Amino acid sequence: MSAHDTDRESARPTEQSAEPGTAGGAGTPLEDRFTSRLRSAAVAARVGMWLGICFGIAFLTGLISHYAQLPDPSVPFPTGPVWGYRVSQAVHVAAGTAAVPLLLVKLWSVYPKLFERPPRIPRALVMTALLRGSIGVLVAAAIFQLASGLANVTQWYPWDFSFRRTHYAVAWVAIGALLLHVAVKLPVIRGALGSPVDDTGLDRPNATAPGPVSRRTLLRGTWGAAAGAVLLTAGASVPLLRKVSIFAVRTGEGPQGVPINRTASAAGVTAEAVGDGYRLEVVRGERSITLTRAELAALEQRTRTLPIACVEGWSASGTWTGVPVRTLLDLVQAPRGAGVRVESLQTRGASSSSVLPGNFADHPDTLLALGLNGEPLDIDHGFPARIIAPNRPGVLQTKWVTRMEVLA
Amino acid sequence: MTRLVVGGAGVLLAAYGGWLLLTRSSLGDLVSTALWLAGGVVAHDLLLAPLVIAAAWLGSRLLPSWARGPAVVAGLVLGTLTVMAIPVLGGWGRRADNPTLLDRDYWAGWGGLAALVVVAAVAAALVVRSRERTGGDRGKRPRRG
Repeated sequence: MSAHDTDRESARPTEQSAEPGTAGGAGTPLEDRFTSRLRSAAVAARVGMWLGICFGIAFLTGLISHYAQLPDPSVPFPTGPVWGYRVSQAVHVAAGTAAVPLLLVKLWSVYPKLFERPPRIPRALVMTALLRGSIGVLVAAAIFQLASGLANVTQWYPWDFSFRRTHYAVAWVAIGALLLHVAVKLPVIRGALGSPVDDTGLDRPNATAPGPVSRRTLLRGTWGAAAGAVLLTAGASVPLLRKVSIFAVRTGEGPQGVPINRTASAAGVTAEAVGDGYRLEVVRGERSITLTRAELAALEQRTRTLPIACVEGWSASGTWTGVPVRTLLDLVQAPRGAGVRVESLQTRGASSSSVLPGNFADHPDTLLALGLNGEPLDIDHGFPARIIAPNRPGVLQTKWVTRMEVLA
Repeated sequence: MTRLVVGGAGVLLAAYGGWLLLTRSSLGDLVSTALWLAGGVVAHDLLLAPLVIAAAWLGSRLLPSWARGPAVVAGLVLGTLTVMAIPVLGGWGRRADNPTLLDRDYWAGWGGLAALVVVAAVAAALVVRSRERTGGDRGKRPRRG
């Protein structure tokens, strides 16, 4: 204890707090051995508020993304603004990324509660068990969402479950448990946010040791870490940040200036399949037409700058040239408003087909693209032809298109 | 009343999530999901949190008082950002056929970040020390590091 005795002479508020094992005898309850004033409701409520905001944003943008991927939504997903999905999915990933430092500090600030002694009265015990169970669900779901999301962004799947389905289901669990937690803690949250950060009114009785930094400094460090988390990763979707984003999953480089999500070889698409024998079939009921790539290229072309925005949060803008899908549908006299099933040559991996809802199929900027940034499509970008539509998740921008079937 | 409505809504939403999980996953999926749900809590509560406590305890023993504040902030920033960067640092998602994914030297980036944080912390610590030495800071007595 000699180091501490020397420190006390200065009575500076930057003194190191005592942690378990350094205060109280062996008989002291574990919770009371956490004596730092920093582990307080004042800190937890402030960090928790921003953590809640991040989870709320991630939940809502996640719902948007889920909705955008529905094959047959009752209310069609809008075709504009062009950058809509790009921004909403970048925000989804950024909110989740910012939540990592926030969640870690939040859990740190309330960690002593884990060792709280259960009450002895049976009725109170049941209540405590329920409340602590709900906290357990919240913490498990929160960590799960951030961990699985961050892994998915790097296309790392060290588990057996379906990422999309499970991330979606656990999102409801997380947001529900979060709302319940806010409801239970509302008086504490109000009290903490309504009083100065250094107020000790809501502190645990034993949490009196000044920490090595003030609460204000701890919070500033936390906001800095959360902002840093976003800046260091957002370059995958914000080109301006590419140089700063040392942890971004993509630099934005790639063939023809656009990164690739799934390569031709990963999708089982061979050079032979996209060679001279390639045909595009456009089908409506009994009627069907077949086009070679040269015939597609002979049709009137349209050039549009549209982003490719992946569900994994990265995005890149490209200038695409190709045939408007509507032009092809007119060849088989498809009625306006009809959905179109788009099928790929790919033999491996999910999303080998997609459905263009009527409003997308009819949109003049929805192209069966043949070229990107002035060159014929790279095979990894979907040569001979791929779908590119405004405001759509990249997973639905089907590559190596070989068949389009009108669904009405 | 507000609390009852918000709390009730929370229970319903969470129950919907649980129902989605139970009805739309195979048994294998569920087992894997349960392992990952529990694994996250175990990894934090029994591994990360005790490690942080141990690091704080060591810091309080080894570092002079003027260095502790900057060390805490540096540890907070670098520690949380490192946890966030685990998937890119590990690079497990990297694939030979796709050079556009995980196409940075993330360890070099981490090294640069760590150097920046350490330099900033050392600078801050030296400022704290000089303030303590001159005794000008809020009338504190000069003290030895």
